[in-house]
Parts: sequence; C-alpha cells; structure tokens
Amino acid sequence: MLTEHLNEATLLFETNIAGWRDAIEDVAAPLLASGAISRRYVEAMLESIAAGGTYIDLGFGIALAHARPENGVNRTGLSALWVQPEVLLNDEPAHPISLFFCLAAADSSSHLAALAALGKLLSDDATRESLLAARTPAEALAVLKTGDEE
Amino acid sequence: MTKFLAVCSTGLGSSFMVHMNIEKVLKELGISGIEVDHADLGSVSPSSADAVFVGSDLAEAAAGLGDVVVLTNIIDINELRAKVSDAAARHGHTA
Repeated sequence: MLTEHLNEATLLFETNIAGWRDAIEDVAAPLLASGAISRRYVEAMLESIAAGGTYIDLGFGIALAHARPENGVNRTGLSALWVQPEVLLNDEPAHPISLFFCLAAADSSSHLAALAALGKLLSDDATRESLLAARTPAEALAVLKTGDEE
Repeated sequence: MTKFLAVCSTGLGSSFMVHMNIEKVLKELGISGIEVDHADLGSVSPSSADAVFVGSDLAEAAAGLGDVVVLTNIIDINELRAKVSDAAARHGHTA
C-alpha cells in the first residue's frame, strides 16, 4: 500500500538545503512532475505553513505537508524527502524537521489507506527510528515494506 | 455514545492519523463504547464531540470546543495512550 506511492521516484535525499521552503518545493517535485498535483498545490502548502501552519509537524522531526484537495490535486500521491541537517519549519526553532512527507489527497477518502499505513508505521518507535535513519531509497523502501505487510 | 474527535486544520492528514491511533489505544486499553472520528477545525462546534484531540499548534484555536486534549507530539503513541486513558475516565469509561 505505502510502496504503491513511495518508491525510487518519490523517495528523495538531500543535504544542506537552504530552508523549509526549499524542502517543500523539493518534496513536492515528484508529484508535480507526475501530474498528481499542479503548481497551485505547492503554493498552497507554502502559504499555509507561512501563515503559521506548523501543525503539519507530526513530532520526532517528521512533517506531513499537505493542503486541501481543491487546491490543485489531480491524483492522490505521496512523496518523501530526508534532509540533513534538519531545517526549521517556518523558521521556528520549535519545529526542526529532518523528514518531510508530501501528501496529495484527491478527495477526503482516497488517501486514507496509505495514510493509515504511514501513521501506523510512524507511531511504532523502532520502525520510525529506522525510517528516520534511512540514507538511501533502498534503506527507506526496506522499512516501508514492513508497513505493507501488515 | 461518547465521541472523541481528532481535529486538524484540513481534516485530512494528521487528524486521521490521530483518529487511527486513538482507536488503536482504546483497543489496547480495553475501553469500549467510544466513537472516534476526525474532522477539520472549521467544521467542529462544541457539541461535535465529548473530547477534541488537537496538536499543540491548534490548542488556542480549539479552545472553547469543550474538553480539548492537546497533543505535544502527534505520532507519540505513549503520550496519546496516557491522554486517551485520562479522557476516557473523565467521560466515564474505564478499562
């Protein structure tokens, strides 16, 4: 289920990026390239965060960037970007992020299975730590596949 | 039936994860009789649920929605377990 969305094309790793805006642009890039989202969706995420939307910080340095379906989602999609060192979401010291997910939900239900699998995986201490420690798409995929099996 | 509602700004992302996790810990705790759902902040009124779970960034915006449970860490299952257990007890549900 998760690896249907998260695969070599949508798992990204970067070092020394300038800040959270670059992280959002970069994590959204595969979804933009595949046509799952339009440019408007990227702008909506950036605006939402800049307006104080740091609630996308799930904890443990993980953020789930997303906006509303009507803001430019064509198809449901999910992508991920690991950044080293971490960047501050909306430049706020309370929100250091090292793993960004970008969720595009085409409606209020089509993304739920993938999100449920992701939530389950991130809520497990050992699995979450393995995922955060991944430094290559192959390492990340190995962890994500454990989420598919359940 | 008692209702717990997980709330985030869009009603799509983190609220759904919290919804799933509340159901998970209620099951683990052996507490039944509580309905769980998720919603966006804009659609929630004080009569929507018995307890509303939000991330700390929405604590201020959610004030006034009744029994508001603020989560420091949205995916911290241990924190959630303790807070769900307390909220369930406040509304007459114990394992």
